[in-house]
Amino acid sequence: MSRLCGGKSVRVASVFLLIAVVLSPAVAHAYAGPGAGFAVLSSFWAIFVAFLYSFYALMTWPFRQLFRFLRRRNAYGKAIFERAVILGFDGMDPELAERFMNEGRLPNLAKLRDRGTFSKLRTTFPAISPVAWSTFLTGVNPGKHNIYDFLACDRNHYLPYLSSAEIKGPKRHIKIGKYSIPFGKTEIKAMRKGTPFWHWLGKAGIFSSVIRVPVTFPPEKFQGVLLSGMCVPDLKGSQGTFCLCTTRSASDKFREGGVRVPVERKNGVCHSYVPGPDNPLAETAGHELRVKYEVRPEPAANQARFSVGSEKFTLKVGEYSEWLPIEFKAGLGFNAHGICRFYLKEVSPEVEVYVTPVNIDPGHPDLPISHPVTYSIYLAKLYGAFATLGLAEDTWALNEHVLDDDAFLAQAYGNHHDREQMLFDALEKTQQGLCTCVFDTTDRIQHMFWRYFAEDHPAARDVPKAERREVIQDLYQRMDKLIGRVMEKIDDKTLLMVISDHGFKSFARCMNLNAWLHQNGYLALKDGKTESGDWFEDVDWSRTRAYTMGLNGLYLNLKGREKQGTVDPSEAAALKEEIKQKLNGLVDPASGTVGITGVFITGNVYRGPYTDNAPDILVGYGAGYRASWDSVMGKVTAKIFEDNLKAWSGDHCIDPRLVPGVLFSSHKFIEEKPAIVDVAPTILKLFGLSLPSHFDGKPWDLAPQALATKTPEPAVAPAT
Amino acid sequence: MSLFALGLFTSPLAIVVMLSVVIGLLMILLFGYTSDQKAIGIAKDQLKAHLLAVRLYRDQLHVVMGSYGKVLRGTGRYLKLAFKPLLYVIIPITLLIVQLDRSLGLTAIQTNKPFLLTARVNNPQALDSISIDLPPEITASAPPVHVAADNEVVWRLVASQPGAYEARINAGGPNATEAVTKTVRVSSELARVSPERLRDHFWARMFSSGESALPDNSAVESISVDYPERNIPLGFAGYEMNWIWLFFILSMIAGFIFKELLGIQV
Repeated sequence: MSRLCGGKSVRVASVFLLIAVVLSPAVAHAYAGPGAGFAVLSSFWAIFVAFLYSFYALMTWPFRQLFRFLRRRNAYGKAIFERAVILGFDGMDPELAERFMNEGRLPNLAKLRDRGTFSKLRTTFPAISPVAWSTFLTGVNPGKHNIYDFLACDRNHYLPYLSSAEIKGPKRHIKIGKYSIPFGKTEIKAMRKGTPFWHWLGKAGIFSSVIRVPVTFPPEKFQGVLLSGMCVPDLKGSQGTFCLCTTRSASDKFREGGVRVPVERKNGVCHSYVPGPDNPLAETAGHELRVKYEVRPEPAANQARFSVGSEKFTLKVGEYSEWLPIEFKAGLGFNAHGICRFYLKEVSPEVEVYVTPVNIDPGHPDLPISHPVTYSIYLAKLYGAFATLGLAEDTWALNEHVLDDDAFLAQAYGNHHDREQMLFDALEKTQQGLCTCVFDTTDRIQHMFWRYFAEDHPAARDVPKAERREVIQDLYQRMDKLIGRVMEKIDDKTLLMVISDHGFKSFARCMNLNAWLHQNGYLALKDGKTESGDWFEDVDWSRTRAYTMGLNGLYLNLKGREKQGTVDPSEAAALKEEIKQKLNGLVDPASGTVGITGVFITGNVYRGPYTDNAPDILVGYGAGYRASWDSVMGKVTAKIFEDNLKAWSGDHCIDPRLVPGVLFSSHKFIEEKPAIVDVAPTILKLFGLSLPSHFDGKPWDLAPQALATKTPEPAVAPAT
Repeated sequence: MSLFALGLFTSPLAIVVMLSVVIGLLMILLFGYTSDQKAIGIAKDQLKAHLLAVRLYRDQLHVVMGSYGKVLRGTGRYLKLAFKPLLYVIIPITLLIVQLDRSLGLTAIQTNKPFLLTARVNNPQALDSISIDLPPEITASAPPVHVAADNEVVWRLVASQPGAYEARINAGGPNATEAVTKTVRVSSELARVSPERLRDHFWARMFSSGESALPDNSAVESISVDYPERNIPLGFAGYEMNWIWLFFILSMIAGFIFKELLGIQV
């Protein structure tokens, strides 16, 4: 009791002392050290700057509006809707959506179907995300936007390069001592051609918020805000290179997308590093920058304590860290800023840590990933760091068994949560104009978990049916709930569209098209070789007439185009027809099913100034089939058909006629066969703008009743 | 103070610089340990985000005004988060500044320069009988001035030698037993001074007096010496500055550097 009383009197005395200190008027008492000083100063600064900005915005707003009015009349004068909200669910399949709606799992999508539109949405040739989304945003066929696959073919070297963007370091360097200092700016060249439709909206004074739409890197200027999506590289410049830090010694390399880094144990402390980009100051390539870190395993608690730079944290086994900023120091003040997450896989007997690909730090972007540049900074400040990598869900790590199902799902839904936050912020900020956001989660999860969904997938034959999780059903239900929350935020002046770029099918059997070309005499190997390594290592080009690279494209080894071309241009048409005839309807001897259901000569499919860059032939695989990873990477194997045993078990890079996307809308459209190429012209028309003449798509008409009643129904709770 | 005694720092500027750096570091460390660093980081980031929103969406008035409101709310939240460490910091630093102010804020009396000593009594009658006894090194240079309206008597004095002297005030007349003293410090160097001696006003004595309390039954309420304020020469173009402003600026700079080096969110 006496202790209590003593404590109380101390507290009372402290309070009195504090009050005396605070209320005393002497100048000396007004200052309480630099910490509090900064707090007070920066608070006043924040208020002052905000006031200035707001005052400026308020004072100039009437003039800006007047200027716009005089220049373009009223931007929304002919608009049928004040706002269009387009949600892209990459890979949402119309057949699955219909099935789940009929089972009562997707009440909000069912509401859209019943009151507005539900239809298949014709996709592009090929049905690959960067191709289809490029068509979505430009309103033109691939012959006009120049994207035919993730990868394009360098005909001089028979090697691939990223089709969407080219990043080149500064051309000039100044050599000082051991350093070669880059002089000038990094060049980022957009390979996608065509103009996004929000550019036309912006020209008419209509604001757009565009979030994570694929193939928007590098970001282009327009009136609005944009965060780039698919095709944004990681800090190494790759499309995602994860890192497995392990005490296990293993000499084999990961086939796809990752590196193994040793962990060295010393006095109970493990030391490892995160590999980063090449040192820009090094004279030659290959001098990798690294950030070291420490792990102190605590096996008894099944956890480990991490020390990464100034960040210290503890992870349980099976737990992810938050996004952590890491800085790769090259010297002379040249730093690269990235973010990554650590995942503790094991602490005993071995120590294994998975590190995500090092993403470009959105709060400190070394490359532009948004328009304006401050938009990604704004989002990072508002919600914290987030994944910026185009293919942020690490499918490679799950394929390589570095991540398990749960770890992959936690990562994918973590990213999804961040994008939902961005979407709702954009919805709040964009009360008029266009708000569009693409969610990749639908695509990645279907790719990786179709094995549990398909009846007899080779990758899940060992998993009893009772143990197969309903991952895809759960995914569709999550997306439906998202739709429900969006519907609560919109009013009768808003058009809501939900679209996907393609559907999905099982990927149970792989086909090595290069092996088929080899066995049918179109592709020759060097003497004595029966197979070839990656990127045509053992191919004899002087005797090769055709080859394949990427997911669907087949190329002739054409004289004058390929460096070691053998096919005379005059013979090209006949050769293409010959290959088409042979491939079309090709049967998988093991199952007796048709592995290829369509072969398309691109000259008949594409029109536009960039058709010469397209593959010569597109191969449309049948449902259940797809190009093998080996074939994609220019490898020639002995077998043509093989079972697909990887977690990557669903796909869409097949005959585009088999994998249309979906179209839902809150208002009914009259269109029998809508296509993704029609979305851009439709939106422009709904905002009352005239259509550019180069558009390939046709705008859809709203049904008369949709024009009369533009009130979307309120969201409903999903069935449980 | 030991540092003064050691003679390591005899220049007020050097002392202020040293104190600013040390205190800047200590206060930043204290702020870092006593604050919710994560919450402060988030609050600051959100403030920046709302500021950016005003720029990004400047054509949309509802966003501009909404963001301005959020900036105001965010500032309140940020100040609230900074208040807890402020509680830890404000008491020691205030006491420290008060103590330092006695050495750095005022200069001691200079020899052969007149200064004023003022005694305030609690009743006008006492003014008639009040007198002063001075040590030989201090002499009165003019007759005392009685300010009846304020119950004060003011002596104009001059010191001839450096040192600490006691001026004795007799409030009950020349033969009275009641007498109180006031220390007068005469020096050309840095010295700790007490500008005022007070009766038992604890808080007032804490902040402005370095001497024991005057007796409660004494007619004298306070005795003060008008030590001149010290301005510290900055060493260029004849600029001078009060030490506390200099300390404020330098400790802020030091704090800024240390917070960056130590990665502490402020």
